[in-house]
Amino acid sequence: MNKALRNPLVFILFVLPALALFLIFFIYPIFSSIYYSLTSWNGVSDTVKMTGLKNYEKALGDDRFWISVKNNGWFILFSVFIQVPLIVLFSLLIANVKKLKGLYKTAVFMPSIMSTAVIGILWGFIYEPNIGLFNKLLGLVGIEPVYWLSDERFAMLSILITNAWQWTGFYIVMVLAAILSIPGELDEAAAIDGATGFQRATRITLPLIVPIISVVIMLSIAGAMKAADIVIVMTKGGPAGSTEVMATYMIKYAITNFKYGYGNTIAVLIFVFTLIVTVVYQLLFNRRSERIEY
Amino acid sequence: MRKRITMLLSLMFVTSALLTACGGNNNNTGNNEEATATNSGTAATNAPATEEPANTEPFEMTIRHTQVGADKQKRLAILEDVVGKVQEEVPGLTFKLDGVDSDVNRKEKLRGEMAAGNPPEIFDLFGSPDSKIYAKESKLLDLTPILEELGIKDKFSNLDPFTYEGKIYGLPIGGSGEGFFYNKEYYASKGWKAPATFAELEQQLADIKADGKVPLAGASKAGWVPLMLANHLWSRYAGPDVTAKFATGEAKWSDPNVVEGFAKYKEWVDNGYFKKGELGFEYAEYTTQFTSGEAILMYDGTWKSSVFKAGQSGEGLIGKVGFFNIPAVDGGAGDQTALMRDVNNGYGFSASAGEDERQLAAVKSFIKNMYNEEMQLRGLVEDGVLPAMKLDQSVLDANITDDLMKEIVAVLNNSASSFPAFDSLVQADVTTEISNIQIQKLIGGQTTPEKMGEELQKIQEEANAAVE
Repeated sequence: MNKALRNPLVFILFVLPALALFLIFFIYPIFSSIYYSLTSWNGVSDTVKMTGLKNYEKALGDDRFWISVKNNGWFILFSVFIQVPLIVLFSLLIANVKKLKGLYKTAVFMPSIMSTAVIGILWGFIYEPNIGLFNKLLGLVGIEPVYWLSDERFAMLSILITNAWQWTGFYIVMVLAAILSIPGELDEAAAIDGATGFQRATRITLPLIVPIISVVIMLSIAGAMKAADIVIVMTKGGPAGSTEVMATYMIKYAITNFKYGYGNTIAVLIFVFTLIVTVVYQLLFNRRSERIEY
Repeated sequence: MRKRITMLLSLMFVTSALLTACGGNNNNTGNNEEATATNSGTAATNAPATEEPANTEPFEMTIRHTQVGADKQKRLAILEDVVGKVQEEVPGLTFKLDGVDSDVNRKEKLRGEMAAGNPPEIFDLFGSPDSKIYAKESKLLDLTPILEELGIKDKFSNLDPFTYEGKIYGLPIGGSGEGFFYNKEYYASKGWKAPATFAELEQQLADIKADGKVPLAGASKAGWVPLMLANHLWSRYAGPDVTAKFATGEAKWSDPNVVEGFAKYKEWVDNGYFKKGELGFEYAEYTTQFTSGEAILMYDGTWKSSVFKAGQSGEGLIGKVGFFNIPAVDGGAGDQTALMRDVNNGYGFSASAGEDERQLAAVKSFIKNMYNEEMQLRGLVEDGVLPAMKLDQSVLDANITDDLMKEIVAVLNNSASSFPAFDSLVQADVTTEISNIQIQKLIGGQTTPEKMGEELQKIQEEANAAVE
């Protein structure tokens, strides 16, 4: 049996179905996107006219596109510097509670199983200027109503908060699993040596969960680069295009206007930018996080 | 030996995987055939004996409609009645109704299907620019011979949005006009009437504001909502035909008259006439602001009249809602009674339906049963949709019992001319710019009317150059 498994032909046979799916649903679309990104195809026509790099010139020279790139950047920064620390904090807290751990886990996980449309409507009520929860609370301390979704200064922040609320629970469960898999002896030994809870968390637990945090950051970056649904549901990219992200830009300025060639260009650019960001992250940070063995 | 067994097992696994997929298809086909046989048997038994029996073998056609949601139930009932009639007329036909949200159908689903070459046989279609793009690519069925055969080619009031190179590729289901809906009860309490002059309208807006009410409903998350009123205002100041001249270069967005229209809109925003925070509200909230009595006026299309019927969200305002056109503005150009009217939404048919004789018969039957006086009247009376076909005034008078609809028809009759909304006249890039950016910037105070005109003109010129 072992001998047979060493035969490359057997492996090829087993890999073949998955490989076929990978080629059909991943590799082929990438190449077809790259091809169409060099054309002025309208999405319907049988004839496709090549336009060279014109679409790329147009996209890279369009201020609106760069606004959307910047907003994707905000998504990444918010995820990495605000969401991830909160995820770690809540994971540590939940890992150390003695009672009702299951309840907390379920409660934090709940938002990530809800559809973005539902979350958009739910938070739409929270941000509602007249009767919304936030403005009611602000009103209690005498602050004037804030137009969360219709004011350019707050619209992006409102989306980021909602997006973070949606996904934090999912990542908490991941980090929690990592924390709970750390052997209890390490913690006990530290406790016997007189380490405080804070010291144990920062000196023992945190270093041991760095690999999973790294994965969380990686997933957050990938998620941030392709964000679209939450923006569409909450602001439709408005007011006046201030919350546009690359994916919504692609829909609005290309797909809606029968410019599928240009749409593919934006899709390729999203792919390239995501690749760059993740590669840079891998090179700068991820290499340092070594595999942990107990 | 072991190696052989593994190889054999692997081979079996791969082949069985392949066969499972193929087997699935076979099974389906088998079932279909079986079902076909059973159905045709039943149909044959029920079919009347004729000399040359018609082909009664069951076949299915799909109708993609957009009658989803509570407010569109009446329109759906009309469609269902038509479907029933067509199914009776065409032996063996079963329609599959596929309801999809209008925007999703228009911008995503139908386009994807057109590109892939598998659109439904009958589908909800927008006239301009959509139908022309599809017609150009031979994706739509040319309806001209069918309309001639049915003798209804000249019965439509306007088929321009669906006409490409002299051929008709779609039929509007109804028309719409845009104007102010107003709360009659509030107006009566103040002793007011629908304004006859623009100054009177502005005075009323100011008085409503002073009274602590919201003068105008506002929900500008989607740019087309505020643009209905803005479009009408710039057309009052610069003339009803001005928008059509942007694409030809005969007029500019930055012309002083057009800018005056933007400026008037901005003035109303600055005066606080619209519901505050409007940039964050959806179109659905627009209606709610009016039906709840919070806003006294609402600028909207005549389709909204269906809301003020029994069982609908505006039920509480039945008999308390009026409708008027924007009064003439001082120094305005052209016909000052012109009304913004559109016949841009209707049904289209896939080119493939023309290749199958029975499908073509179904299409003919669908057109015959959908586009007639009875259905147009039902659309008007039950759903508040203005007829797309020419109807006798006496027939209209006899059928309209609803006060609001009577007022709407009176407004239509009092307007000497009409003009279509901007989005069917300018290029898609310009529509995107004005509805997603410029109008929201104007409302948000991030641009001036002059700057808005200039920026729009820049995009317009780029779009005009691209066409050339």
